Amino acid sequence: MSPRETVLKVDWPQCRARGLCAELFPEKIRVDEWGYPVVLGPVPAEEERLAREAVAACPRSALHLRTT
Amino acid sequence: MTAQMIRPPASVDVHTGPLLLSGIDRGPGLAAHRARLGALPEPGVESLVTLLGEVGVRGRGGAGFPLARKLQTVVRARGSRPGLGSRRPYVVVNAAEGEPASAKDSALLDVAPHLVLDGAVVTARALGAREIHVVSSEDRPWVGAAVHRAIGERDDHGIRWVQHEAASRFVSGQSRALIELMAGRPGLPVTSWAPEAVDGHRRRPTLLSNAESYAHLAAVVLWGVDGYAAHGTPGEPGTSLLTLTTPPAADGVFRGVHVVEVEHGDGADTVLDAAALASPLLVGGFHGSWVHPQDVAGLRWSNAVLGEVGARLGAGSLLSLSDGSCPVSETARYTSYLAGESAGRCGPCRNGLPALAAEMRALARSADTRRRLRELAGLVTGRGACAHPDGTARLVGSLLTTLDDHVEAHLDHACGCSPRDPRGERAGGSSTQRLAVQR
Repeated sequence: MSPRETVLKVDWPQCRARGLCAELFPEKIRVDEWGYPVVLGPVPAEEERLAREAVAACPRSALHLRTT
Repeated sequence: MTAQMIRPPASVDVHTGPLLLSGIDRGPGLAAHRARLGALPEPGVESLVTLLGEVGVRGRGGAGFPLARKLQTVVRARGSRPGLGSRRPYVVVNAAEGEPASAKDSALLDVAPHLVLDGAVVTARALGAREIHVVSSEDRPWVGAAVHRAIGERDDHGIRWVQHEAASRFVSGQSRALIELMAGRPGLPVTSWAPEAVDGHRRRPTLLSNAESYAHLAAVVLWGVDGYAAHGTPGEPGTSLLTLTTPPAADGVFRGVHVVEVEHGDGADTVLDAAALASPLLVGGFHGSWVHPQDVAGLRWSNAVLGEVGARLGAGSLLSLSDGSCPVSETARYTSYLAGESAGRCGPCRNGLPALAAEMRALARSADTRRRLRELAGLVTGRGACAHPDGTARLVGSLLTTLDDHVEAHLDHACGCSPRDPRGERAGGSSTQRLAVQR
């Protein structure tokens, strides 16, 4: 068993490429050529606060923080 | 954008097989079914899990998840007293068969419906479920009719049967799309945060599996572990249904389609003729993988053997280019079709699949778009509510990887294939060769 990880999950049908997440959390979120988020790996503990801000800021509630 | 229509076959040749298809010459009726196999046992859930675990039955919808583990997940999610409270599970038979290159679930329900329904009843009784939902597709209306006739013959005390018809599109058979359809919403994929076994129909634990999976479950119960494991190999007991096709005609309809049942470990030559044994073979349908002609003759119908050449049986669809079709042109055609089948709800799929299809058509016209194709395939993978972008990327990726020599020759105008124009018409006269069944 791998240790538990905190990861960002996109609810793809909800996402409309508004891009706030990538502005607020560029450490772990970039956008692709169409403006949709590309998540760059799990969220380390020291970045969880930034991740929560990005999740809260999504106007479509399409970004979720999950612990696996 | 080239709209590419591809549709399932209107008729299928079904061949007698060793297990699931062993009684088809006696017709699909319940009386003949019971006369041959006896009364339906009702194992408790623990013994059912043990039986399925012993022979390692895996789901036959494509993902190949072990059925015993799915059952255990439902049992854990429902708690120990399924009759009380609101956690009574549901059972769902998925016969939507959105993949047009597959016809094995529709064929099975046509010729041996009671094997599938028996499997669903055994599952429902073991789990304490009272409702069994059967989902077929509106583009194969005879399947729903066959199921309706079969249900009418049965008297399953305490079981309520509910039938649904999914819209005819590729992603309709995806498990979350079924849950959406059953809830009265459009039957399209949505994000799932937990498996159906935990959070399914009406948010209850739901055993949702492919129609053929239930037939194997019934076979294990009716023939017993020894009778079931008399077929196949020690590592992969039992059998699989395969759909054998060649590329669809210019009108997009599959013709000359055969459904056969093979024992795991059987050699490729049990079902493929000489031309097919020396031609590129698409294994696992339009979300599947190409196998190189030099590897086809050595194949065995076993996931261990297929894995060595990067393929998986998936839902058992085999499409052979034994008619001389060009794998580059055919992949371009299927990718265009798959792009049109996107539900259009997820951004990377809605944007990425048409882009992937355009680059594939350029490759078919001998423009070297391989770098961009790999980039796009990487960009859509894992970024949708369902496996449609991943499967489409897999098809393109396997062409570039497995048939790289053919792609190279195609770019040099030296592949010797007879490409189709975008409407699917083949240039330079068409071959009449068909994939023949030698069983």
